[in-house]
Amino acid sequence: MWPTLVYFLLAISCAVSIDEYENVINERHDLLQRELDMMLGNEITFSDSEIKANEIVMHLKAKELDRAYRSPYAYNFTRHFFEYKDAVKQSPLYEIIKKMPKGAILHAHDVGLLSPDYVLNMTYWDNLYVCFEEDNMQLIFSDKTPKVTCGTQWQLLRDARYTSIDVEEFDAELRKHFTLLVDEPHEVYFDVNSAWNRFQQYFITTGPMFCYKLAWEQYFYDTLKAVREDNVMYIEIRSTLPPLYDLNGEVYDSIATAESYKKVVDQFVKDYPDFYGAKLIYAPMRLVDAATVKEYIKIAKEIKRRMPDFFAGFDLVGQEDLGTPTKEFLSELVAAKDELDYFFHAGETNWNGMSSDENLFDVIALETRRIGHAFALVKHPLLLEEVKKRGIALEVNVISNVVLKLVGDVRNHPLATFLAQNVPVVLSSDDPGVWEADPLSHDFFITFMGVASRHADLKLLKQLALNSLYFSTIKDKDRVVHEFEIRWTKFIDSLVRDKW
Amino acid sequence: MRSSIIYSVVLSLLITRYSARVVLNKYMLDRTQFLEEEDNLQLGSSLQLTEEENEANEILMYWKNKEIEASFKNSTPFQLSKHFFKYKNEIAKSKVYQIIKKMPKGGALHIHASMMLDADSLLELTYEDHLYACYMDDGSLKLHFSDAVPLVLCPVNWKLLKDLRDASDDVEQFDAELRKHFSLYTENDELLNADINETWERFHKVYRTIKNLITYRPVREKYFYKALQNFYNDNVMYVEIRSGLHDIYELDGTTHDALYLAELYERITKRFIDEHPDFIGIKLILTSGRWSSIEKVRDTINMAKELKTNMPGLLAGFDLVGQEDKGKPLKDFLPVLIEARDEIDFYFHGGETNWFGTTSDENLFDAVLLGTKRVGHAYALLKHPTLLATMNQKDIALEMNVISNVVLSLVKDVRNHPLASYLALGYPVVLSSDDPGAWDADPLSHDFYVTFVGVASVHADIRTLKQLALNSIRYSALDEDRKKRFYDIFNEKWTIFVKKIIEGGLN
Repeated sequence: MWPTLVYFLLAISCAVSIDEYENVINERHDLLQRELDMMLGNEITFSDSEIKANEIVMHLKAKELDRAYRSPYAYNFTRHFFEYKDAVKQSPLYEIIKKMPKGAILHAHDVGLLSPDYVLNMTYWDNLYVCFEEDNMQLIFSDKTPKVTCGTQWQLLRDARYTSIDVEEFDAELRKHFTLLVDEPHEVYFDVNSAWNRFQQYFITTGPMFCYKLAWEQYFYDTLKAVREDNVMYIEIRSTLPPLYDLNGEVYDSIATAESYKKVVDQFVKDYPDFYGAKLIYAPMRLVDAATVKEYIKIAKEIKRRMPDFFAGFDLVGQEDLGTPTKEFLSELVAAKDELDYFFHAGETNWNGMSSDENLFDVIALETRRIGHAFALVKHPLLLEEVKKRGIALEVNVISNVVLKLVGDVRNHPLATFLAQNVPVVLSSDDPGVWEADPLSHDFFITFMGVASRHADLKLLKQLALNSLYFSTIKDKDRVVHEFEIRWTKFIDSLVRDKW
Repeated sequence: MRSSIIYSVVLSLLITRYSARVVLNKYMLDRTQFLEEEDNLQLGSSLQLTEEENEANEILMYWKNKEIEASFKNSTPFQLSKHFFKYKNEIAKSKVYQIIKKMPKGGALHIHASMMLDADSLLELTYEDHLYACYMDDGSLKLHFSDAVPLVLCPVNWKLLKDLRDASDDVEQFDAELRKHFSLYTENDELLNADINETWERFHKVYRTIKNLITYRPVREKYFYKALQNFYNDNVMYVEIRSGLHDIYELDGTTHDALYLAELYERITKRFIDEHPDFIGIKLILTSGRWSSIEKVRDTINMAKELKTNMPGLLAGFDLVGQEDKGKPLKDFLPVLIEARDEIDFYFHGGETNWFGTTSDENLFDAVLLGTKRVGHAYALLKHPTLLATMNQKDIALEMNVISNVVLSLVKDVRNHPLASYLALGYPVVLSSDDPGAWDADPLSHDFYVTFVGVASVHADIRTLKQLALNSIRYSALDEDRKKRFYDIFNEKWTIFVKKIIEGGLN
């Protein structure tokens, strides 16, 4: 009865204004279509199998999102990443994205890529000393008791472990130092600073252990392995290039660290010829004075001179709000800008109009090649246009921004706007190991399901992967893109064949 | 040949020597230009300030910078990045707030009729005689005025609130508990972090209780008068009220029809203006729930047409209300809305969601296509570049309600609110407060304060504030004559306000 009545009334009103109604519907369709055509990925034309694969993907996506739309309590992404990171692995789309060739990682920090389990394993190496202090601990490799100051006393970690009552418990405690993961993230990380404090503590604790030359090289080799296994074919790695040491206490310089990296990459590519290598972005700490930046630049130039093919460029790192603003180093950075390519972090903040926010102005004026994070860019319409005009890619790291407390619900992440406007974006993962995320798959999945439009499809995913190659510093891009296309086709074929 | 080589060598030497400085200068030029151009784009940038305004601005900005620097440098968490309820009671201490409180803010253009009044004032109304209460098992409260035990269903039993209050050991405690039914305010973190549906359920509960209280004619009159008084005291001179007109009743149970409520609004407003001649008045945006049937919507639109004829000064237009994600999309009502659009102005809610690509999000398209005069919330608009451009071009104003979006679970840290981008783009924005009574906020000052210190750029100054107030006049539904009068009154008050800031100085 009721449906008939509704239909009847509808019919009447349509009869009255049928043309008008049609007009509005058409116009509506046009407007919606115009927006879809503007979205990142719109230039891609699908092959027949891609169309089929896309149907599979979009069916799964709609199913998951519609359920979430009806019952938001079941929607994971409004919560903290730690509360859903394992749950999303149940999603068939996650598995698809895991298998998907994702191109390159262009924004990642060298000692933040591997999981706490990996780091824990490293503590089983010989000659590792530990110093347990009140809240923290120090770790250092040495062939004799370290001379570094210790509030309590140095002991071999092996001894500490095996004299402990419960080794499992001992390891579990140890592991906590290697991850940000906690049960009550909202209580522990109540703002940007509280998150960054813990985050920095991770680097302070693990740094001296990783800086043992052999550990360093092994960590990097295994990083490349993990990256490759996540279907990433190339990586640009940011490093502060800390001095490495040997068991006997010999200490090397930053340039030697870079050389270590290059050696590992060369070996890795030899072992895995399907991997397209790595390049280095020298990215020392930003909380320094201008004189130190001058020294940094000297080191950067020297590395570039010695390893021109391995060196990609220069950046400054550390919490932007509390760090020195980029404009304090103008003279130094302007002077070097013809010799060094810049890949600056900027606007990794939710402040509007403060120095950290206005770093965006500086790095664009400094002709940066890409911008790390650019979270605040959406509040700067003019700069946004400039970024598009100059083809400066934004390296967006959604999960990092959640964990480091810039944004809660990922649907409020500015990336949604960047994607809608087809701003050149690459997805990356920053320090995925520290928050126990995949090298890249989690970031792709959450972007696809939580940030991008419900209508965003395989085109978006493919373009994001392609962007990571286009905006990399790889020399022979054609060759790599060609190889990517081959892998992509295989991926599509398997998707269609396995009929998810 | 050789000379040209020498020439170029010399030249390159010269260039190397001076290039560093030239490049640096060029760089500084670029940077300054960017910053200036952005400043010129910002909302309010076209306003020219008088000497006095400049002086007042310096004082205002001194306080603003001080407040922000304290959080930025001292690494104390920024208050405004938390839930509104966490810092609400601290706001009064802020110098910026104290200034904003005094500022003439023009009009409030997005206000729902039942949620205008704060919980304390509502509590006072429960002291009226003949009020019966029904405390339900699920913790909710029904209220009804009647000269005998109400016939309205109560699963437990109706008792006179007065008796309950008198019988309680501690009246203060009793009232404190009662007050909770009129406000979403809570210190419970779990509730503050609840998902959007849970929050809206709490919101509806509060709404129902308040509506019980104010559906009784004499109380409605007091309620509405007090609400106008509060807005007026908050330096708001005009309100556009969204109301789905409904019956109201007398003590003996007789009822007045929906149109009577419209007349009541007009009558009380007249009385208020008599006593406060500088108050401009109100207009009504008639609403339907967005879960209504298409026939119901048609009925309401017919009522709007009737009102337009009978009370031409009162009606502004029509809107659909209720939680967008859960309600029916605008496109379901297209036939009826298209039919009416030449006769009735629309002031649609649109995109009060953080979903992207869903029906609630795409209501924005329909609102624009239907020729809406303004859009309520438009929270999701930032994700729609073409639509954003269209709206700017058509000069469709955005009614922003920042605190509402926090309390109703769209965003936590207001610095992530899309309003920051709208302000930077200089889009036509008006600030409003949605349901300030439901979260114990000022009629408009809190929203202005949070926007000014928490959302807008650190550089946004008195021009932003003034432009926001001016916009509320410009984009109101008032006719040109009344707008002109409004501008005159506003300008007069503004001059006094500026003087007051200067008098207050840096103390």
